Amino acid sequence: MVADNKSEFRKRDLLLTGGLWLISLILPDPHLPYRKEFLKKRDFVYLGALVLLPVIWPGALFLMGLAGIYAIVALGLSLFLGYAGQISLGHAAFFGIGAYTTAILTTRYGIPPVGAFWASAGAAAACAYLIGKPILKLKGYFLALATLGFGEIFLVIVREARDLTGGVSGIFGVPWFSVAGFTFDTYLKQYCLIWGVLIGLVLFAKNLVRSKMGRALLAVAASEDAAASVGIDVARVKLGVFVISAAFAGLAGSLFAGVISTASPDAFGLGLSVLMVMMVIIGGMGTLYGPIFAAIFLTWLTDSLGAYQEYSLPIFGVIFILLLIFFPDGIATRLNARLIYLISYWGRKRRRERIDQ
Amino acid sequence: MPLLAIDNISKSYDGVLALNQVSLSVRQGIIKGLIGPNGAGKTTLFHLISGLESPTAGQISFGNVDITGKAPHEIASLGVGRTFQTIQTWGTMTVVENILAGMHTRVPGNFLSSGLWLPWIHKGEGAALKEAKHILEFLGLLGRWKWSAMQLSFGQQKMLELGRAIAMRPRLLLLDEPAAGLTPVEVKRLSEKVCQLRGQGITIMVVEHHQGMVMEIADEVAVLHNGELIADDTPAAVKKDPRVLEAYLAGAVG
Repeated sequence: MVADNKSEFRKRDLLLTGGLWLISLILPDPHLPYRKEFLKKRDFVYLGALVLLPVIWPGALFLMGLAGIYAIVALGLSLFLGYAGQISLGHAAFFGIGAYTTAILTTRYGIPPVGAFWASAGAAAACAYLIGKPILKLKGYFLALATLGFGEIFLVIVREARDLTGGVSGIFGVPWFSVAGFTFDTYLKQYCLIWGVLIGLVLFAKNLVRSKMGRALLAVAASEDAAASVGIDVARVKLGVFVISAAFAGLAGSLFAGVISTASPDAFGLGLSVLMVMMVIIGGMGTLYGPIFAAIFLTWLTDSLGAYQEYSLPIFGVIFILLLIFFPDGIATRLNARLIYLISYWGRKRRRERIDQ
Repeated sequence: MPLLAIDNISKSYDGVLALNQVSLSVRQGIIKGLIGPNGAGKTTLFHLISGLESPTAGQISFGNVDITGKAPHEIASLGVGRTFQTIQTWGTMTVVENILAGMHTRVPGNFLSSGLWLPWIHKGEGAALKEAKHILEFLGLLGRWKWSAMQLSFGQQKMLELGRAIAMRPRLLLLDEPAAGLTPVEVKRLSEKVCQLRGQGITIMVVEHHQGMVMEIADEVAVLHNGELIADDTPAAVKKDPRVLEAYLAGAVG
């Protein structure tokens, strides 16, 4: 009888560990285990899924492109909000600065899109530097309010500076993104471009997170006094990560202008800023892949709820509330915590049973 | 020439005098104990030295540099490490990352070069990891280097905080109640480690309620009472000082 029981447990263990291993392949990184390993198996699983997507489901390419653009912003915001623990409700403005820089440089001055692409990142980073210097001394709600104000000021400037930005109607006919005569004019090409940029930025962010700057970010988020006590210049670290995340948003804005072909103020309002923050929170604070997953999920959700017209916002709200109730610290973090708990629980249980016998 | 010279320093919070004209000096290579009843101003003095607060009057100099009113991170990079009264380890990081973060000023890298993982970053991070493991071995935490810092026990977290401060390679180490809440065995191990650090040439200042430990390991003991320095001598002499006895007994009886 006892022997039967034992073999039954073994079989179930095998099944469960197999299942858990499979899940662990696709789950985003938790931030706790030591991050020295640069690329893991799951990175290649993600890459494979990205490569296979155009073959399996060509219809999703446009939406995935858009999701990729938002994912770039969310990735940058994840460094600022998820790692350094600072709140920004003005990232749509940096996104907008990127889009308008590209739109103005390419349509008015005939600068090639690649040049405009880097100029967009530079413009967003420069604005972030000027804005961040005074306002990053603020904390919590006050920082949220200050960045919110910055976002609104940006919108007012865009609407009023009609000569430069085309006012409320915006700028039309931004040329497709092109590199050395190769134009990204189909959904497939745009998908490759956007996710290529995203992969580059993910590698950059991964390096940042495993280096001393990543540790400084987490240190600043956890305890500024302790961070200063080991010689970390808290103000500089905050400013630096704000500039980096703004540059990410600027790059995304440039891609947005190059793919949608327009830049108009409606696209860069408070709604987008809040959506970005939601992506980081739902994805999981202190993770890199979480916000990307959340960006895909939220873009898809917004698009599919569009069919319900006036009911879409309430449904959106209910889904958010449910997510925040069941995954208060983000999908990635919570699922991983559950997984770690499950594995350790199984280990403990088996050990207990061995001792009992 | 003392390593740390505190000259007539005062600190008041909205008129309440926490420290009144305290002068104190710490010679190179000794353990200086700092004791006193609750509210005597010991932690305030540490905050002033490490720059978390700035003094109302007076001057602090560290190795011939005037550090009065400097930012905490500047003072830290001059070589002043410290631990906190309430544990301030970073629970979102692993144990080894806590130590590595302590080496912040010595590891190469900035936002751009770290993001691109240039060759010297790779080299610097590798060397830092090796050194961090040495420090963890010294503290007896090497077996848990991949653990999250918040999974450690209270005593281990205290050790980790000490390790983070050592990782800076400080010239002066400020320990704010390192033995508070530890078991006698842990206190003994801690005093051993602190003595070994003195052997490595680090000057140490300890604020402690645990008088036995301070009297045992310190070369000199200063006593604060109501924001004033009432004694500054060898442990044996301080034990006999009538004013010290009065301060402690008055507190105990009344």
